Amino acid sequence: MLFLQEWILTLLIVLPLVGAVAVAIAGAGGRPLVPRSGENHDEPRGPRLGQMALAFSLATGVLTILAVALFFTATSETGQNLARAGGFALVQDLTWVADSETARRQIDFRYHLGVDGLSIWLVALTAFITPLSIWASFSGIRHRQREYYALMLLLEASVIGVFCARDLLLFYIFFEFTLIPLFFIIGIWGGPQKWAAAGKFFLYTFAGSMLTFAGVLYLAWQAARQGGVFTFDIDTLYRLQLTEREQFWLFLAFTAGFAIKVPLFPFHTWLPLAHTEAPTAGSVLLAGLLLKLGTYGFLRFNLPMLPAATQELAPLVAVLAIIGIIYGALVAWVQDDFKRLVAYSSVSHLGFCMLGMFALNQAGLTGSVLYMINHGLSTGALFLVIGMIYERYHTRQFDKLGGLARRMPWMAFFLVFFVLSSIALPGLNGFISEFLVLLGTFTSRNPLDGWPAGPLGAPYGVIAAVGIILSAVYMLAMVQRLLFGQLKEPEHTPDTSGGLRPDLTRREITILTPIALACLILGVYPKPVIDSIQPAAQQQVLAWVYAGDTDAAFAGAIAPRDAGAPARSAGPGAKEGGEDKDRLSRSTVGFSQSGFATCFSRWGEDQSPGFFPFSDFSRIPDSAVPEVTHR
Amino acid sequence: MNGDLFTLLAPELIVIGGAVLALLLGLGASPGARSAPRALALLSVFAAFLVTWYYGPSPAKPLELAGMRFDSLAYYIRLIALSVGALVLLVHWHLPHPAERGDVFAMILFSLAGIMLTSLANDLVLLFLTIELVSIPTYILVSIGRSDIRAQEAGLKYFFLGTLSAALLVYGFSFLYGAAGTTNLSRMQLSPAGGFVTIGLLLAFAGVAFKIAAAPFHVYAADVYQGAAAPVTGLLGFFPKVAGFVALIKLLFLMQPSDLLTAGWNMPGAAFVFLWVVAAATMTLGNVLGLMQTNVKRMLAYSSIAHSGYMLVALLAGPVASGGPLRDGLSAMLFYIVVYGIMNLGAFAVLALIQARGRPAEELDDLAGLGRREPLAALALAICVFSLMGLPPTAGFFAKVYVFSAAISNGAAGWHGLSLIVLAVIGLINSAIAAGYYLRIVATCYLREPVAEPIAEPRTAGIRLGLLGCCIAILVIGVWPGGLLYMSRLPFYDLSAPPAVATHSNAQSPEPAETTEQVYAKEMNS
Repeated sequence: MLFLQEWILTLLIVLPLVGAVAVAIAGAGGRPLVPRSGENHDEPRGPRLGQMALAFSLATGVLTILAVALFFTATSETGQNLARAGGFALVQDLTWVADSETARRQIDFRYHLGVDGLSIWLVALTAFITPLSIWASFSGIRHRQREYYALMLLLEASVIGVFCARDLLLFYIFFEFTLIPLFFIIGIWGGPQKWAAAGKFFLYTFAGSMLTFAGVLYLAWQAARQGGVFTFDIDTLYRLQLTEREQFWLFLAFTAGFAIKVPLFPFHTWLPLAHTEAPTAGSVLLAGLLLKLGTYGFLRFNLPMLPAATQELAPLVAVLAIIGIIYGALVAWVQDDFKRLVAYSSVSHLGFCMLGMFALNQAGLTGSVLYMINHGLSTGALFLVIGMIYERYHTRQFDKLGGLARRMPWMAFFLVFFVLSSIALPGLNGFISEFLVLLGTFTSRNPLDGWPAGPLGAPYGVIAAVGIILSAVYMLAMVQRLLFGQLKEPEHTPDTSGGLRPDLTRREITILTPIALACLILGVYPKPVIDSIQPAAQQQVLAWVYAGDTDAAFAGAIAPRDAGAPARSAGPGAKEGGEDKDRLSRSTVGFSQSGFATCFSRWGEDQSPGFFPFSDFSRIPDSAVPEVTHR
Repeated sequence: MNGDLFTLLAPELIVIGGAVLALLLGLGASPGARSAPRALALLSVFAAFLVTWYYGPSPAKPLELAGMRFDSLAYYIRLIALSVGALVLLVHWHLPHPAERGDVFAMILFSLAGIMLTSLANDLVLLFLTIELVSIPTYILVSIGRSDIRAQEAGLKYFFLGTLSAALLVYGFSFLYGAAGTTNLSRMQLSPAGGFVTIGLLLAFAGVAFKIAAAPFHVYAADVYQGAAAPVTGLLGFFPKVAGFVALIKLLFLMQPSDLLTAGWNMPGAAFVFLWVVAAATMTLGNVLGLMQTNVKRMLAYSSIAHSGYMLVALLAGPVASGGPLRDGLSAMLFYIVVYGIMNLGAFAVLALIQARGRPAEELDDLAGLGRREPLAALALAICVFSLMGLPPTAGFFAKVYVFSAAISNGAAGWHGLSLIVLAVIGLINSAIAAGYYLRIVATCYLREPVAEPIAEPRTAGIRLGLLGCCIAILVIGVWPGGLLYMSRLPFYDLSAPPAVATHSNAQSPEPAETTEQVYAKEMNS
C-alpha cells in the first residue's frame, strides 16, 4: 500500500506513455516503414488501434480512481487526514540531477510529485476526459490513426504530469511538452486552416513560456542565494524572500506564459483559431484541460510565490478578466460558426475563473478551481456534441443548419443539457462555481471578521455578472438556431458513413452520458469536491498570499505550518528579525479547518440549510474564524 | 601520465597518424584499399578516445610542457571532439566518391586533431597554428568533390574570409605579445586596463568571431552552408566553433588573477561591451534572418549563427565560483557546445540521408511529407529540431537551462549583472523567434503530404548509425543531464586552481572544492 501511495502518480504518467509507445509499435507492424504512395493508410487496422488507446486511457482512469481513493485516505505522520488538512499526499520525491562534486550540494533537480485538493481533481478530470475523447475519435479520425492515438496518450501523460509536479522545473518540462502532441493533433487532423492554427497555437504559447522560463531561472537563483542550493522545489521557492520589485517583474514573467495559455483578454487571439480548427478531441482536450494549465499555473505559482505583486496587480488582472468575460461573450454572440462560438465562450468563462482566483479569498479561490473542473466538463462536452454534428453535416455554419431537434433528438437533449450547464443553471455544475466566484468577488473587499481584505469588490462583481446574462443570451441563441425552427440540412447529408446514424449512435450516447452525470452530480452534491478544494486553497494558496500581512485582523501568533518544515534561516530578512520592510517577511500560516467547508459540511447533516446552503455565508460558527497566530 | 611528450600527445598522434594513413590508402588502386580509410579513421578516433579516457582528467596541478598545458579543459575538449568526431565520420560514411574517400576522411581527422591541439595550446603561436589546423581542412572539405558552382563559390568565399580572419587574429595576438612580452599564456598575466590589451583582444575576438560565425562576421555562413554537402555542413557547425570558443576561453583567462574566479571575467569594459553587443546581435540577426529562409540548409546556417550567440551569452557570464553549476557560464558553454554539435549534426545527417536516397534535400518543399515517406528519418529530424528549439525532454532544453541560468544568476554588482539578465531575456525572446522557423521544418515533414518517393535505396547504414547516435545522445542527455554536466564542470575546477608555473614547486594547490566552499562562506557572511 505504501509502495502504491508513493508510485501511483508515476504510474499515472507512465501508463499513457507506455500506451503511446505500444500503439505506435502495434500500428507499425504489418506494413513497411517506408510506405509506398497509393498505399491505403486508412482502415482496417484503425479501430483496433483506437481500442488499444482507449484501453490504456481507461486503465489510467481506473488508476486515477484508485489515486483519488488513496488521496482521501492518506494520513500524515501525526494521523491527520491530509485531504482535510489541505496538504499534499501521494508524494514521491527522488533526486533527479544533483552534483556530488562537493560536500555541499549545489544543484538539486528533483523528481517530486504530489497532489493536493487543488490538483487531484484536475488529474481526475484529465483521466476522465481523455478516454472519452479518444473514444469519440473512432468515427472522426480516419487516417494516420497510429500517430493520432499515440499523440493523444502522450498528451494525457504530460497533462497529468503538469498537475502532479512539485518541482518547478519538472512542471515546466511537462508544461512545455504538452505543446508537441497538441501541435501535431491540430496540424495533422485539423480543419481547413489547420497549419495556421497549429503554428499560431505553438508559437504564441512558446513565446510566452520563454519569458516564464526566465522567471523560473531567476527564482532558482534566488533559492541558491538564500538557501545555498539551486533548487526548483516548489516548497522551497514558496519560502523565498523577494523584494516587491523582484516580485513585480517575476509576476510579469510568469503571467506572460500563463496568461497566454488561459487565455487572458489581450492574449486570447490564438484561441478561436486553434479551437475551431482542431479535430473534435483536440478541441475537447484544449478547452477542457490545456487552458487549465494556465489557470493552474497562476494558482500554484503567481499567488503563493509572489503575494505582494499578486495583491498589487490583482485589480489589473481582474479588469483584464472582466474585459475577457464581456468581450468574449459579445464576440461569441455574433459568430456564424458554432464551434467558434463555443471557442469564444471559453474566453468568457476563463475570465470568471481568473476573476474568482484574484478575489484572493476562500470563496473565490474555491469557486475558481471548481470552475476549472466544470468548464472542462461542460465545454468539453459541448465540443464533443458539436463534433458529432460536424461529422454528419461537414459544416459548422449556422445558416446551413437548423431544426436539428427533429432529426437528432438525442443530440438535442445533450446539447441543451450542456448548454444549461455552461450557462450555470442552478442544479447543474456551472452554477456552483459561478456563484462562488461572484460571491468571492463581491465579498473580497469587505471580508468576514478575521479575514484580510482582498483586492476586488462589488463593482467587479457587478460588471462580471453581466457576463452571465450575456452567456445565456449567446448560448440559448445557438440552441435556438441549431435545434429549433424549420429543419435545414445541406444536401447529401447527414453523412452516415463509418457506422454513423442520423441521430447519435449508442457509442456517442455512452460517451456523453458520463459527462452529463458528472455535471449533474457536481451540481447537486458538490460537497466532497469542495471539501477537499477548500482546505487546500486555504493551506496551499491563501496562507502564502496573506503570510506577509501583519494587519490588525491577522495579528496574533502565526504558527509554523509544520514543525518539520525547513526554517528560512539564510537570507537578509532572517537576520534583521523579520522587521525588514523591503523584503516581506513571509512566515507560514496555520489555518484551522474552517469557514467555508463548514457551511457545506452542514448541508445534509444537520440543521435546515435555508434557501441555499452556501448563501448563508454570514452564519459561520466561531470555529470557522481562522486561528491566526504570529510566529 | 608523466612528462613524456609523446605519451602525453598520444591521442593527437594517433589521430594524425590515422589521417596520414588514410591519405595514403585513399590513393590505392584496389576498391579494398579505397574503402579502408573510413574504417581506419573511425578506428583511430576510437583508439584516441580510449587513450584519453585512460589518462583521465589532469591532476590538481596541470602539467605544462612545450607550449602546451595538459589540463582538464583539454581533457574535456578532447573527449567531446572525439565522440562527436566519431558521429561526424559515420555521417560522412557514404558521401564521398570512393576516389576522394581518403582525402575527405584525412581532412576530417586533421581538423579533429587541430581541435584537440587547440585545447592544449598554451602559447599564442601554437594557439594560432592549431586554429588554422582546424580551419584549413574545412576549406578543402567544403569544395572537395563538388562540381556545383555554388560549392566552388562557397569554398572560395570561406577560404578568403577565413584568411582574413586569420590575419585579424594574428594581428591581435601581436598586440597581446607586445603588452606581455611573452607568448606563453601562463606567464602573460595581462592587466585589463592597458590600451594595448584592449586593442589586441578586440582584434583577436574579431578573428575568432569569424570561426564561430558571430555577427558581424557571420555573412559567409549561409552561403557556405548552402554550398557544402550536408554532412560537411554538420561538421562546420561544430569543429570551427569549438576551436573558436576554446580560443576565447584561453584569451579571457589571460586577465584572470591567478587564484580568483569568483566574479566572472576580469576583462576590459570595452571587451565586455563588444562581446555583449556581438552576442545580442548574433542571436537576433541569426534568428530573424533564419525566419526569412526557404532553404533548409540556409535556415540551419542561420540557426547555427544564433546558437553561437547563446554560447556567447554563457561565455560572457563567465565562471563564478560560488553557486554551483547553474551559475557557471563557462561550463554552461562547454555543455552547450557539445549538445549543439550533436543536434546540428543530426539535423544535417537527416538531410544527407535523404540525399543519399536520391532525393534533393535543399528547399523546405523537399521535406514535404517526410513523416509519411520516411517515418524514422522524420522522427530523427523532429528530435533534433525540437532539441535545437530547446523543448524538453531533449538535451537542448537543459543546454538552455544552463546557459540562461548562468546569465541570469551572474549577479555581478551594478550594470554588469543587470546587463546579463537583459541579455538572457533577449536570448529567450530569440528562442521564441527561432521556434518560428524550426517549427516550419517539423510542420513540413509531418503536416504536408508527400510529393515524392525515394528513388534509390543505396547503402546508408553509416549515416543511419550516426543519426541514431545523435538522437540517443540528445534524449539521454535530455533525461539525464548530470553526467555531461559533471564532465563540463571539470575544466572550471582546474582553471580555478593556480597555474603550475606560478606555484612552481609541487606545493599543494588548494582543493577546488575548498575554494568554492570558502568563497561561498564569505559570500554568505557578508
